[in-house]
Amino acid sequence: MAEYQEPTYAEVNRDVLRTMLVTGPKYWTALGISMTVAVVCFFGPWFYQIHVGVGAAGMNRSAFWGTYLSNFIFWIGLSHSGTLLSAVLHITQSSWRKAIYRSAEAMTLFSLVTAAFFVMVHVGRVWFVHWNFPVPNQMGLWPNFRSPLMFDVMAVTTYLTASSIFIYMGSVPDFAAVRDASTGMRRRLYTIFSFGWRGTQKEWHTLGWAYTFFAVFVIPLAVSVHSIVSWDFAMSIVPSLHQTIFAPYFVCGAIYSGTAGIVSVMFLLRKFLGLERYIREIHLDNLGKLLITLSLIWTYINIMEVFTGWFSGSSFEYEAMKFRMFGFYGPLYWEMLLFCALVPLLMLFGKIRKNWRYMFIISILINIGMLTERFLIVATSQPRKFLPDAFGFYFPSPVEISITVGSFAIFTTLFLVFVKWVPCVSIYEVKETLQPLRKRAT
Amino acid sequence: MSTANTLRDYLKPGYYDEFDYHWAMTIDLDRCTGCSACVVACQAENNLPIVGEKRFSERREIKWLRIERYWQGEYPDIKLRFLPMLCQHCDQAPCETPCPVAATYHNQDGLNTQIYNRCIGTRTCAVYCPYEVRSFNWFTYTWDEPLEQQLNPDVTVREKGVMEKCTFCIQRIRIAKDKAKDDDRRRVRDGEVTPACVQSCPTEAMVFGDSKDPDSKVSQMLNNPRGFKVLEDLNTLPSVVYLQKVEEQGHGHG
Amino acid sequence: MANISRRDFLKFIGAGGIGAGAGYIYAESVKKTVEFLVPQVIPPEDWSPGVATWYNSLCGQCPAGCGISVRIREGRAKKIEGNPVHPVNQGRLCALGQSGLNALYNPDRIRTPLRLTGARGSGEYEPIDWDEAMTSLGGRLGSMKIQGAADRIHLLTGTVRGHLDLLLARFMEQLGAPTYLQYDYTHPHSLYAANRMVFGVDRLPYYDIRNSDLLLSFGADYLGMWISPVHHSLSYGHLRQGRPGHRGTCVQIEPRMSLSGASADRWIPAPPGTEGLLALAIAEALVDGGGYDGADRADWSAALRPFKASKLAPTIGVDAAVVAELTDAIRRAEHPLAIGGGPAAEGSHGTAAMTAVNVLNHLAGSLGRRGGVLFGADPVVADDWRVRQASYARMMEHAQIMGRGDVDVLLLHGTNPVFNLPQASGYTAALDKVGTIVALSSFMDDTTAMADLILPTNVYLESWGDDVPEPGVGLPLATLSQPVVTRIHDSRSAGDIVLGLAHQIGGELPAELPWTTMEEYIRHSWRQIYSVEAGGTDAGFDEFWKDALRSGVWARNRAEMEAAPTVSPAVLAQAGSAASEFDGAENDYPFVLQPMMTQGFVDGRGANLPWQQELPDPLTSVVFSTWVELNPTTAAELDLEEGDVVEVSSSAGTLAAPVFIYQAIRPDVVAIPIGQGHTRFGRFAEGRGTNPLDLVATVTDESSGALATAATRVTIRKTGERLSLIKTDGVSRDLGRQILGPAKEHA
Repeated sequence: MAEYQEPTYAEVNRDVLRTMLVTGPKYWTALGISMTVAVVCFFGPWFYQIHVGVGAAGMNRSAFWGTYLSNFIFWIGLSHSGTLLSAVLHITQSSWRKAIYRSAEAMTLFSLVTAAFFVMVHVGRVWFVHWNFPVPNQMGLWPNFRSPLMFDVMAVTTYLTASSIFIYMGSVPDFAAVRDASTGMRRRLYTIFSFGWRGTQKEWHTLGWAYTFFAVFVIPLAVSVHSIVSWDFAMSIVPSLHQTIFAPYFVCGAIYSGTAGIVSVMFLLRKFLGLERYIREIHLDNLGKLLITLSLIWTYINIMEVFTGWFSGSSFEYEAMKFRMFGFYGPLYWEMLLFCALVPLLMLFGKIRKNWRYMFIISILINIGMLTERFLIVATSQPRKFLPDAFGFYFPSPVEISITVGSFAIFTTLFLVFVKWVPCVSIYEVKETLQPLRKRAT
Repeated sequence: MSTANTLRDYLKPGYYDEFDYHWAMTIDLDRCTGCSACVVACQAENNLPIVGEKRFSERREIKWLRIERYWQGEYPDIKLRFLPMLCQHCDQAPCETPCPVAATYHNQDGLNTQIYNRCIGTRTCAVYCPYEVRSFNWFTYTWDEPLEQQLNPDVTVREKGVMEKCTFCIQRIRIAKDKAKDDDRRRVRDGEVTPACVQSCPTEAMVFGDSKDPDSKVSQMLNNPRGFKVLEDLNTLPSVVYLQKVEEQGHGHG
Repeated sequence: MANISRRDFLKFIGAGGIGAGAGYIYAESVKKTVEFLVPQVIPPEDWSPGVATWYNSLCGQCPAGCGISVRIREGRAKKIEGNPVHPVNQGRLCALGQSGLNALYNPDRIRTPLRLTGARGSGEYEPIDWDEAMTSLGGRLGSMKIQGAADRIHLLTGTVRGHLDLLLARFMEQLGAPTYLQYDYTHPHSLYAANRMVFGVDRLPYYDIRNSDLLLSFGADYLGMWISPVHHSLSYGHLRQGRPGHRGTCVQIEPRMSLSGASADRWIPAPPGTEGLLALAIAEALVDGGGYDGADRADWSAALRPFKASKLAPTIGVDAAVVAELTDAIRRAEHPLAIGGGPAAEGSHGTAAMTAVNVLNHLAGSLGRRGGVLFGADPVVADDWRVRQASYARMMEHAQIMGRGDVDVLLLHGTNPVFNLPQASGYTAALDKVGTIVALSSFMDDTTAMADLILPTNVYLESWGDDVPEPGVGLPLATLSQPVVTRIHDSRSAGDIVLGLAHQIGGELPAELPWTTMEEYIRHSWRQIYSVEAGGTDAGFDEFWKDALRSGVWARNRAEMEAAPTVSPAVLAQAGSAASEFDGAENDYPFVLQPMMTQGFVDGRGANLPWQQELPDPLTSVVFSTWVELNPTTAAELDLEEGDVVEVSSSAGTLAAPVFIYQAIRPDVVAIPIGQGHTRFGRFAEGRGTNPLDLVATVTDESSGALATAATRVTIRKTGERLSLIKTDGVSRDLGRQILGPAKEHA
């Protein structure tokens, strides 16, 4: 392995801006495929569903919620990646976040947008979905503020707004860098985007202060968003859902899922944008340590869920637990444990933790497991509620599976577009991690 | 009514429990034979769609009232018990809180109402309902002509994306209240309004009326010692009280 | 904005207007019909928009004869309720009755007269108009009459009572055609035969379940589909909780738990065909234990000796202790009542079994007493219809006549023998030998599809008529049927068709049948009823008629009971053995088949009603299907799960259907519901399920001539295929949850 040579400031600019300014056929192919899949697998079936009704999905009288909601939660969960990395690690002044936080924040934003799509796919009459907002209407009605879904709406919109501002604000100096390196239309655009950033001392000071403010603001927001999302379930009285553990469970799961998502995305960015010098082993190692911690917490919570289900002696909890672990979807439950509790234990070994390929695979498996977990929450609790004669069954329809696949395509499309419009590695913050020039001269 | 007085009213104990009427129903399980006349009566009265075999096999049927079956024991000491299950019109309904657009709420007659034109179909209410009495319009169902000529003009026909459930035949309650109003503002008398299910029940197992009226038949039935509420521990405070089937002791079988 | 000339401007406006207009017209024309709920701005005379009118009439969905009240809005029938003033159902109505709206507005009703163009049974018909149909049919019948061949004109209907029956009888009589039969699968021939034998009466007595305190049902599904389910349900409700402090007990004895069995306090799974023997064992114990104090005690004791419980125990599957318990219960009860029907009446010796039940009633002292078996006065309308009810044996005789080619014209109305008679009877082949088959029918069912000429009839909701229900409620009453809506298709009521034919045929017929419409005829007939009641005068008839139209029913205001008949022990010998015989050797056919009627489908007539197809079966929650019920142990032994398709075979036929594990059926019995398996009957019924009647071997009860549908043995073979049953039940166990009663106190 060649000795690691730190890049110079100029090299940082050049390498990162190159990812934006130079576009090869591989990119266009990727973008084309991703957009096609998004249209064919997501929008096509969705519009079909709008036309015939939500019956195009697989939900029924014993399971009114299905993959649309579980995917919504999955994507909200994935969105916690950026917040944690960006905001929390900023507060704790961890330097290793600097190369990866921009992409992580972008992941947050696009996960939220994808999740927002799922809200629209999920409701029965999407043409009235704006009634969720307190807009003037001829019925003279406010939305119902006691509803956990209403908390959801408020929390997610706040989070979306705050995250957009957060990422935008942090990118302003980089937009200036793009402006300075480009000509013509692009230069004009980025002049607008960068708000005329000149890099003065005052501007840097203001940015630092504002950025820290938002970091502090966004952290409780992230915790509350996923807690609130969990309360969609926990505020019901449905057995196996009505538990106080849900808020910490979901937040932990979200951060877990999000961090695994970062690992996956970083692997791909590194490979396809040639950013090996910037996204390095130290990042992977630290992400790995984060993941193993979260995995252990997650495992503990799952064990406690089983324990409380059994210990309660309640037929309601017991039947739901039994169905989850040994019913039709039992294999999925064990797969979830395998991928989210057992496989991540490999990360206790440094050799695994510092290897990009292994970590990529583990991170994908973790997210598959987390997607499964969300699905199981929805699919195994509703068919085992209170009246046994009403027990039922739910299986996703082809439309739902297609839309699930399509949602990844939407996310990918948005991310691919992002990569060309915003520097995916924070140029100025990376520079902060480099040795000052005078020290390197020797 | 000044604002101050209105606000003071909100603080009075029992203010939120004041109902104009409090419609309640009792179902005597010792009379119920499971014949399902009530199910068809509800279908006829409330324009419930004919969903067809395919939708039925997908568990998409729409039944505001269903008969549940519970077997007890093993052959030959086997018993079958019926439980007609309909919206319990809970006074602490788990379904009213979570609707984000306030399409379901508790009205001043003690009914849990569903406002079809406000519903956007998030289906949260149905997930939260422990009795699983809510039905969703997964599609817009149609009737082969001329079956649509039977539709009751007093009841909306729902389109896809909208949740529906038993309303205690609110259209009949409204008509009865209107009639009472026309007759000099007297209250609706006991027996003037019966939901379709209660009206058809061949064994007279179902009784409906105003539980605020101490002389109504339903008030007497509510005092019956055999009375119980299904899943009472969930504290939903249902307005439907069931009278437990009398089990005769001392029998062998076969 | 570019300059637009005035001409161009007007062009745009015009085009836009036409476009909008065309768009509007298009949008209106593709509006779903549900948007036209209030169709007329200027309504006809007899209704006001927004105001409902109620018409009281007669339910025609099953032979019980309940009274109905139909809510009419804007000339359309919206809801059928029970008629509150009708003594049979007192304002209540069953699911099948309410589904009458599905019959009225059924999309597959026959809308015009049809003439066959293809081969018989091909389903190829061409519409013709009424004049042509009536002229050709009337002409044919007339010419046959003139040629003296009118005896080759036969009439076969379902159960028709009241004045329509009298009209048909008079018509056939005047025509010179003596063969007028009624075939109704639900008619309990064995019950009638037993009543004739034991009590010497031709009509059914009234079973006063309401005032009984111990009801012993030997196979009779009185809450489901036995005689008059709504009336019995009302009675049952009262028996249970209608008398404070006094709750009646119900015992059900049958091989497979019926709806009535589910509500019983005690369900005794008697082996098939042994119910009558059990009744006799109880009778024996009653007499032997001193529970009967008639003068002929000794004779009874002697006659009953062969039926000692200890001797019979292995046969009847019930040990002597249980017989003693039941006997004890009878003695302690003040108003014991025994009823019989269902599989107990449909065995090879069903009449003997029903005789045993009658004997038990006599010995228990329930004849002629409140809460027992009551014998009523003559009905107000002649009830010769009972004589016309053809048993299976009679139908087979008739089939022979048809098969010989001795029937030139067969008129059919309201009956479906092609579906209801077993394949092994060869009825369909015999029917095919008839020269011309004319069906007066509302629906293209299995039998109507064999017709050469079809005259569409009004559904009962569009018809004038009347009925005297049987067994009624113990007081003379007559129900009026009046049209609640104007007929919606180009159909006519059967009575109107017959009156029209009478005029076509000519001769003495128009004089003997001088009415042009059923309305006229019914009004005339009720004038007769009125004048008898009023002592010979018909002054005040108009008031009476108005009242009758308003209330839909007339009843004499007090019951007139006759004394209980005497019953002699000789009746036991006369009835013969009550022990059933079965078709098929036990080794080859280890199970006994029980084809069962459900309230929703009855004998199959409910299959074209979408509300019935979508109504979960009360005992199994299955919809849209035929299923084979097996005891859980039997299923386990045969390695069968729910949904496994099995082939059920008897000596007479085979069918394939999915298995349903039924908790309350004997291990040696297989039950299959009747109703599905129509080859023709409209979109809701066709191509669905199978007909268990095709498995029934042609065993008859010699005393009544009835088909012994409960006397066929079958075998089961796993086919390896699967067909998942559509049902609403999840897990039908309460898992210890607080669902059927209050929370249990914890120790």
